[in-house]
Amino acid sequence: MANLLWMHGGACNGNTQSFLNADEPSVIDLVRDFGINILYHHSISMEFGEQVHRLVHQILNDEIPLDIFVFEGTVIQGPNGTGRYDMFHDRPKKDWIWELAHKAQFVVAIGDCACWGGIPATKPNPSESVGLQYLKGEHGGFLGKNFRSKAGLPVINIPGCPAHPDWVTQILVAVATGRLEDVQLDELQRPQTFFKTFTQTGCTRVQYFEWKEPVEEFGQGTRKGCLFYEQGCRGPLTHSPCNRILWNRQSSKTRSGMPCIGCTEPQFPFFDLAPGTVFKTQKVLGSIPKEVPQGVDALSYSISAAVSRAAAPKWAKEEMFVP
Amino acid sequence: MSQKGSEVKTIDRKDLKVHSLGRVEGDLDVRVSIENGVVVDAWTEATMFRGFEIILKGKDPQAGLIVTPRICGICGGSHLTKAVYAIDTAWSTEVPPNATLVRNIAQAVETLQSIPRWFYALFAIGLTHENYKKSPLYDEVVKRWAPYGHELRNRRHRIGQAGRDLRHLRRPVATSSFMVPGGVMCAPTLSDASRARSPSSSTTANTGWRKSGSAVRWSAGWRTRRGRDVLNWLEEKPEHRDSDLGLFIRYSLDLGLDQYGRGPGRFLATGSFFEPDLYRYPTIEGRNRALIARSGVYDGENFHDFDQARVREDHTHSFFRGGGAFHPFEGVTDPIDPEEGAKEGKYTWAKAPRYDVPGVGELALEAGPLARQVIAGRPGAEAHQDYDPLIYNIVKEIGPSVMVRVLARMHEAPKYYLRVKEWLRRIDLNDKFYIKPKELRKGAASDRRKPPRALSDWIVIKDGKIENYQVITPTAWNIGPRDRHDQRGPIETAMIGTPIEIPKIRWSSPASRRARLVPRLHGPRYDAKTKQEIAKYEVTKF
Repeated sequence: MANLLWMHGGACNGNTQSFLNADEPSVIDLVRDFGINILYHHSISMEFGEQVHRLVHQILNDEIPLDIFVFEGTVIQGPNGTGRYDMFHDRPKKDWIWELAHKAQFVVAIGDCACWGGIPATKPNPSESVGLQYLKGEHGGFLGKNFRSKAGLPVINIPGCPAHPDWVTQILVAVATGRLEDVQLDELQRPQTFFKTFTQTGCTRVQYFEWKEPVEEFGQGTRKGCLFYEQGCRGPLTHSPCNRILWNRQSSKTRSGMPCIGCTEPQFPFFDLAPGTVFKTQKVLGSIPKEVPQGVDALSYSISAAVSRAAAPKWAKEEMFVP
Repeated sequence: MSQKGSEVKTIDRKDLKVHSLGRVEGDLDVRVSIENGVVVDAWTEATMFRGFEIILKGKDPQAGLIVTPRICGICGGSHLTKAVYAIDTAWSTEVPPNATLVRNIAQAVETLQSIPRWFYALFAIGLTHENYKKSPLYDEVVKRWAPYGHELRNRRHRIGQAGRDLRHLRRPVATSSFMVPGGVMCAPTLSDASRARSPSSSTTANTGWRKSGSAVRWSAGWRTRRGRDVLNWLEEKPEHRDSDLGLFIRYSLDLGLDQYGRGPGRFLATGSFFEPDLYRYPTIEGRNRALIARSGVYDGENFHDFDQARVREDHTHSFFRGGGAFHPFEGVTDPIDPEEGAKEGKYTWAKAPRYDVPGVGELALEAGPLARQVIAGRPGAEAHQDYDPLIYNIVKEIGPSVMVRVLARMHEAPKYYLRVKEWLRRIDLNDKFYIKPKELRKGAASDRRKPPRALSDWIVIKDGKIENYQVITPTAWNIGPRDRHDQRGPIETAMIGTPIEIPKIRWSSPASRRARLVPRLHGPRYDAKTKQEIAKYEVTKF
């Protein structure tokens, strides 16, 4: 049995809502079949008020062991580092988070906010939000670069806005069933089993990408083409399994004609949403994408793109996703 | 001075503060004053600030499509819908009928998924509180709705299925930004459309809810007009009585949930879903008529047309600099340290939305499902609009309450389900889903909607970027504090009159915690978003 405490800071509850949609396994499976004892979760527990207060004290006084501390949302430090923009039982929530993180065997950050600050930390970051161990791409964050939970691990980052329910429940099961050594973390502390691949891996538009055929416009225009060239899709640049582990078991953004906005990466939202950057590919010299697929240099990319376009078969210019 | 034998009234007054009541983001504390066991005053205190409106300033005009769905992880699709209509209005786009249908469907589907998730995951678990043990129905309620229970697991499986199936129309995630000015990003295929149709015929309304005795049965054809019809439905067949809906009604009547949580009795709905041909060119002026679920204000006696120009936000008691009330186009979000704010009598991060009712003045109004269904009962609907007097009649017969609020929400499920089927049928797969708009460098527009349907966005665009962006959610209408006239917010009002039994706090040992998930608490607890009672108070020394 593993005791789990779920807390939220500067959050939208989106990761909880996503978590409630989990079905392999489901939240109830976690509790009934996988021995995860949810000590408290703000949305689905009966406890509140003084009971929660007391529970937290019992954890901090070592009366109840805390195996997994799950955190959703940013750590709010404003105004001026006081944390009074987010209070929990009349005390800045950040102070509770610090203490609980240091009592837990494992600390799991769920969603962009908890991992790197997410949308609330977008300039000018009015709430002085940070992630648990990162602020955007910078190591450090609230708990500091060298933080290790009691089991000797850094924060396990499960980013996404929101994180897919399976990413969450499957990692929790791995922890609860003692398979955590199988979970390899990448340099951003994300489980590689989910985040080694690209969003593009499994995308149904990948043939259009290969022949450099763009989506000309949204709507009926997405019946053909790849969204990388004009609509700012970050699929080739973003690490996620969105096209391997589908959303609602049905679909993904890119399959639906929506460009990937890179929400599993610390820089999300990219370019701080400056005018002209939303759903538009940033280009140099008017035609070459400013950011090319990871590991490719711009010159090689331009050459291979020109060759591909020239060699493209006729069907690559035609609609594939027809009514 | 009292003499022996004469009656001396002693006032037993207590102030209590109850922490971490909210089940969702925003984090709600509630302070109440209790006299002789009854709540006589209340203050709702939202304790968390993120500053979305500040983040949006100076950003790309379309930034709202990415940012606002992240305000609330439950109703991201609603935020997206109003955000896109705000830009459509500001840029004077043309929205093809297909796009309006897909937007309608996506929004309705989000609500269809939210209703059972809200009822089973967030609300009904509170009904298993052991304070209700005296009810003869208690054991059955615990069996069905206790947290992490077997029966709940079965229901959730079905509900999860329903949510997935209905999302075939290529809408992957709640926080997706697939609506764009001029239409939608997707172009469904035949397979998408037919898969969306068939499961929706058999799932949401039927799976999660057929077994649970969905509201479909008593609202089909809108023949049901009065509260009496609901009671007749209940007694008609054993399946009705034994359904989850039937059990909820019987349990509510037994516990008295039809008596508590009246609220202000005045309502606001800003409307949702558009008739495609009437809203090809979205404008502020054309909006009310194009709506399917109508907008409107009910002041307790009369209905009024909704006019966005009459909306104000008062921040006298909110942790923002200064005081007073502003229309959202002029709205400011300038946070101050709550410690400083407290010295000026400020006590929450929520602002206090008010509506200036002609001839009456600025009122605090309830928003949400009950408000929407009261407005649905207003006579004079056009052919494309929803006219459905059931909930309005119930409110007139027995007044608003926790029970009626829940009924109103459940009542929406079958209505939306039938609409979704109709909208799916009307999609023309070979027609346009998007018309590329001209990105105007300036404009000002507002839109409002969704399962939070009094959700509103006001955007001012200048020099190709966002000059001002203000959002008012239904939760804000409900959870807002007092205003400069000291008029309470709707939830604050709803709490007054509630009897509170102040318990001796007994703590369960850690070992027994799991065995008894039900806390020992008393007095109603309200969901931060929905204002529904979800559990009972607990007492903290103040």
